[in-house]
Amino acid sequence: MTFLDRTTDARRFRQWEGNMEADYIYTSGVAGERFFVALRDGGKMLASRCVACNLDYLPPRLFCEDCFAELSEFVDVPPEGRVAAVTMAHLDRRGTPLSRPQVWALVTFEGIRGGLVHRLLVPPAKARVGLAVRAKLKARGDRVGAVTDIEGFEPVRS
Amino acid sequence: MRVGIIGVGMTAFRPSTPEYSWKELMFEAASRAYADAGVDPRTEVDSFVTCAEDYYEGFGIFDEFTPDQIGGALRPVCTVTGDGLQGLANAFMQIQTGLIDIAVVEAHSKASDILTLEGIIEHGLDPIWNKPLGGHPFLIAGLEADAFLRKTRTSAKALAAVVAKNRKNALRNPLAAYAANVDAAQVLSSPERFTPLRALDIAAPADGGVVLVLASEAAAKRRHANPVWIRGIGWASDSPTLETRDWTQAAYAQLAAEMAYRLAKVRRPATEIDFAEVDDRFSYKELQHLEAVGLAKKGEAGRTVVKGGYDPGGALPVNVAGGSLGCGNVFEATGLHRAAEVALQLRGDAGSHQIDGVRVGLAQSWRYIPSATGAVAVLGAGQ
Repeated sequence: MTFLDRTTDARRFRQWEGNMEADYIYTSGVAGERFFVALRDGGKMLASRCVACNLDYLPPRLFCEDCFAELSEFVDVPPEGRVAAVTMAHLDRRGTPLSRPQVWALVTFEGIRGGLVHRLLVPPAKARVGLAVRAKLKARGDRVGAVTDIEGFEPVRS
Repeated sequence: MRVGIIGVGMTAFRPSTPEYSWKELMFEAASRAYADAGVDPRTEVDSFVTCAEDYYEGFGIFDEFTPDQIGGALRPVCTVTGDGLQGLANAFMQIQTGLIDIAVVEAHSKASDILTLEGIIEHGLDPIWNKPLGGHPFLIAGLEADAFLRKTRTSAKALAAVVAKNRKNALRNPLAAYAANVDAAQVLSSPERFTPLRALDIAAPADGGVVLVLASEAAAKRRHANPVWIRGIGWASDSPTLETRDWTQAAYAQLAAEMAYRLAKVRRPATEIDFAEVDDRFSYKELQHLEAVGLAKKGEAGRTVVKGGYDPGGALPVNVAGGSLGCGNVFEATGLHRAAEVALQLRGDAGSHQIDGVRVGLAQSWRYIPSATGAVAVLGAGQ
């Protein structure tokens, strides 16, 4: 088949179906390790602190986005956050329609740069920006030290 | 030293292209560009820049697969793992060094080859903090659209107006994949996807290739070409961390525009730029990007599109070729397609979607979900 003579019979098109095998471990890193161990063992969230910029980062990281300093201090994230943006997903991760939409939110915390994108554990009609929420954690024995130890965020007063 | 575009080549954008391999798509776009420029790639082109990302292609080390189908075997070739406008910036700088007279930029999409598109896009999410949560990657667009609409008090009607405009504009672009006579009411009644975004707010994937041929001013003069000048170009990236970036405005586009305007000596973009081709792969992005690049005041883009201000006959025509909503999402080729359309308009070669009397145009790109990277080019006609 050349460009001078293109196939017009769609039954003749040939293809090879393949896939890319790609399995990894993703190391949490120093700052991630601190966060996930504190989450698993203490049920709390940590932010990394930039003393020079007076900024606390969530997710925590080892370097400041503003001044490029290496960060070594960690502080507790306040237990209560607020919904800063919200969306209802009507498709699952593979694009298949969901029978009930999932509610997702960006949750931010007073005095913290950043926040967490996570599930919002309210019915779609109750999902709204400004809602005061806290993390709902899995039971201590079920936590493995991963972001999925947080089941989602639930209203502080339900 | 000035750098100009002396050749434009594009394939048609189509939902699928079963008769062509991705290499053949590139070959066709390149052949058209070389014919347009009157350039022989085997003897007259000094450097070739391709733009691609391995995961969209479906194999590793994409850059090793490129030279032959664009005429670049045994010649200087490099790949920018980014949007085509970032590749254009690269070629622009190569010519500015004085070492290169003629450079070529290529970008393409063969998205119809991807059987698990959601999965490929999902690979762009942070593998520790975001991907394990198991959501569809477009929920990021839903969250950002929510933050943008709320901050700028933009209505869902404005998003529908963007979709209706761009799909209708595409009716006058024979290369567009998704031209349709859609009205705002149809958009607002299409199925909900990632609230506030509905099915028609999201550009559907397409296949297609774009190639531009660039020349230094001296080389263009030697060839008696009539170039479209790259007056300024810039790019910027916000934090890759979803949680710490700005969710209400496209900071990357603002910084990219500032860089491009500085080079182009554009001081008042809203009065100096005649028309714009910006990334609209989610309807709200067109409005967010127009505000970021200074072509609309914060919060005003939504009201302007509803009033028809961005129509082909409006004060600032935007995405006259149909945008990605009308032409289809061609992934890393999206920004290069914008630059190609601006160049054709400035040459007066845009066919039935030609706008009269345009002298300066803006092309803007975004690197899609979940990125916060963008580029801006200011192109100009004449001396």
